[in-house]
Amino acid sequence: MDLLPTPEQEEIVTSIASVIAGNHTTGEPLTDALWEAAAAQGWFGLGLEEALGGVGYSLAEEVLLFTELGRAAVPGPFLATVLASRLAAEAGEADLTQQLISGSDRVGLAERWDDDRFSVLDADGATMALIVDGERVTLVDLGGVALDSIPSFDTLVPVSLAIDLHESPALATAPDGPALLRRGALLSAALLAGIAKATTDQSVCYGIDREQFGQPVGGFQAVKHRCADMATRAEVAACQVLYAALAERDGRPDAEFHVHAARVVAARAAVENSQINVQNHGGIGFTWEHTAHRYVTRSRVYASVLGTTHTHLGATLAATAPQ
Amino acid sequence: MNLDFTPEEQAFREEARTWLAEHLPTEERPPDGQPMREFDLAWQKTLFEGGWAGINWPKEYGGRGLNDIQQMIWYEEFARADPPFTLNNSCTFVGNNHGGPTLIVSGTDEQKSFHLPKILQGDVVWCQGFSEPGAGSDLGSLSCKAVIDGDELVVNGQKIWTSYAHVADFQELLVRTDPSAPKHKGISWVICDMTTPGIEIREITTMSHVNDFCEVFYDDVRIPLSNVVGQVNDGWRVTMTTLSFERGTAFMADQVELAAVVERLIEEAKVRTGPDGKRPAIADDEIARRLSLARAEVAALKAMTIAGISRTQRTGVPGPEGSMTRLFHGELHQRVYQLGLDIIGPEALRLTPVDGNGWTGPYLQSFAYTIGGGTTDIQRNIVGERVLGLPRVK
Ligand SMILES: Cc1cc2nc3c(=O)[nH]c(=O)nc-3n(C[C@H](O)[C@H](O)[C@H](O)COP(=O)(O)OP(=O)(O)OC[C@H]3O[C@@H](n4cnc5c(N)ncnc54)[C@H](O)[C@@H]3O)c2cc1C
Repeated sequence: MDLLPTPEQEEIVTSIASVIAGNHTTGEPLTDALWEAAAAQGWFGLGLEEALGGVGYSLAEEVLLFTELGRAAVPGPFLATVLASRLAAEAGEADLTQQLISGSDRVGLAERWDDDRFSVLDADGATMALIVDGERVTLVDLGGVALDSIPSFDTLVPVSLAIDLHESPALATAPDGPALLRRGALLSAALLAGIAKATTDQSVCYGIDREQFGQPVGGFQAVKHRCADMATRAEVAACQVLYAALAERDGRPDAEFHVHAARVVAARAAVENSQINVQNHGGIGFTWEHTAHRYVTRSRVYASVLGTTHTHLGATLAATAPQ
Repeated sequence: MNLDFTPEEQAFREEARTWLAEHLPTEERPPDGQPMREFDLAWQKTLFEGGWAGINWPKEYGGRGLNDIQQMIWYEEFARADPPFTLNNSCTFVGNNHGGPTLIVSGTDEQKSFHLPKILQGDVVWCQGFSEPGAGSDLGSLSCKAVIDGDELVVNGQKIWTSYAHVADFQELLVRTDPSAPKHKGISWVICDMTTPGIEIREITTMSHVNDFCEVFYDDVRIPLSNVVGQVNDGWRVTMTTLSFERGTAFMADQVELAAVVERLIEEAKVRTGPDGKRPAIADDEIARRLSLARAEVAALKAMTIAGISRTQRTGVPGPEGSMTRLFHGELHQRVYQLGLDIIGPEALRLTPVDGNGWTGPYLQSFAYTIGGGTTDIQRNIVGERVLGLPRVK
């Protein structure tokens, strides 16, 4: 039993982080360069078996990837595109799988907004949408779908509304919707865990750099203790996300419980840490220029896709008891 | 990265489960005094005879030399066996988790061969004489004084909050041997025989109705210099190794047991009438949400504990990250028992023992979890300064 990344996994993380750093600036929109680099690195099929055209790693490595994406606040339809390539592969659509892994298509994430409408995240530039409707998950072509964009809370995550989206012809349907949704929930938890870590790091750096009363503000216990709590929440989230990834990867009977638990602790950590991070920065933290607010809005977005903290909490209690 | 147990670890689990089914005491632990001491020592003796004492102590000192994963498995099996007492709430705690491990690292051959077998076999109780009225969180400012007189130390002063001093045979005692040196440079770590003349012990009753807290007074207490562990005036370094065991595995038993407590509380919430006086407690939204969160958080605590073990296996020594686990665990433990009181309704008016499956006694005891072994404020300082590298300011 070992819960820390192996040296090989650490190398994967380093390489992911350097690809992100070379092609993305936190607070900026997704660049084509990063999307293309992601495709070239095989990120869209990272956890897919080689036989299905993927890189052949597992959910554990995918979780490491999404943690890095969360940490750098990389916007863009990574989550839905990765889930879509798995959906296509599991549905036996080999050509579609290849197409998605190649990065030629971007996939928006569609969930119920109200009785008639779906919200679609990242629909701008997307050719397909992954529709989550209850336990049914389908991939549809967005061509010809009327999309009505609304002002988005996170300005880097465009939101559109679409009527009757589920009536668009499905390109493929997930043979096991709940399993795909568990995977998606866990990857969203990884994004959130990344945010919890990034905001801790921002606060710590600022606490060391910024001086008032003739000393670094991080020396003041009020700030120091907030940072210690942030670090602890981030660690709690990171550990549970890894545990859940292994439980789900290995098909353990309590995997479902662990995924819900991971999403709950990661969402709480990301939301709380990103809020406190603004406070730790004082006036500069309240500016548009600073990236602190990016994490505030991004954490809310991720905490509201594929279930909410409320629904995951309920499922935590209903699931098979942890072993 | 994997969650698998090796065949050896699995066999160890089976062995532990079988043995516990046959040997776990079923009677309640006496709450105090000699009967408590006898109960705790008898259990330690049973453990020793069954080969379960010192699971992660090196073999050459009578331990089993097993890894921390096996130590965790043992705690898990103990919790699963539904014991009528908790592992750490025992007067053998200091010997097993502090005194013994410190001697293993820093003791002389004579000290080891005399004391270690006695600790493992359940012959002796050790207590920890660190805190003083004027030195709690600021342990380094301790003032209990010892002067060298021939081949003896002569100790004068006072300790406080010494758990189990009234039933102890030996004490890990911190004394100031050089008052003129900087505060961390003039301390010595000594083994004090509690039967030495000049020691007076007064019991202090805790808010959880237990008398195992003590004040200890030293009036010209003569301790052989050969009882110093490490060098004279090098006690702070020795103390840091003692405390690193706390960061490592000492509280793992509590962490593992908490998962079982939460499952028990969920069962409790299904049968107790809830706040509306009609439906079961678990049907109440707020209670259900708090239970769900507790279940998620104890799972994360376990993941954190395993990550800590993995880290120690790579670096060899438990790092300061353990303070995050301590901090999270202490506060989570309290939240679980606070929730317990909210779930049991009018039963919350009945006092139950601190040990065992009741809720009110353990609730009162839970206040200790954010004070003992370094308060949560101190843990936050450690995380801020030693994990995150934030500046230390006077
Ligand atoms: C159940 C239990 C068992 C114990 N057993 C033993 C034992 O066997 N042997 C032994 O030697 N000791 C024992 N202790 C003592 C324990 O180690 C001390 O109580 C603890 O270290 C705190 O010291 P104090 O009580 O003097 O509190 P203080 O240090 O006076 O703390 C008072 C308050 O001030 C805060 N504070 C202090 N310094 C700082 C700081 N720098 N920054 C922020 N806040 C600060 C504390 O967090 C606390 O809230 C035990 C305590 C308990 C509760």
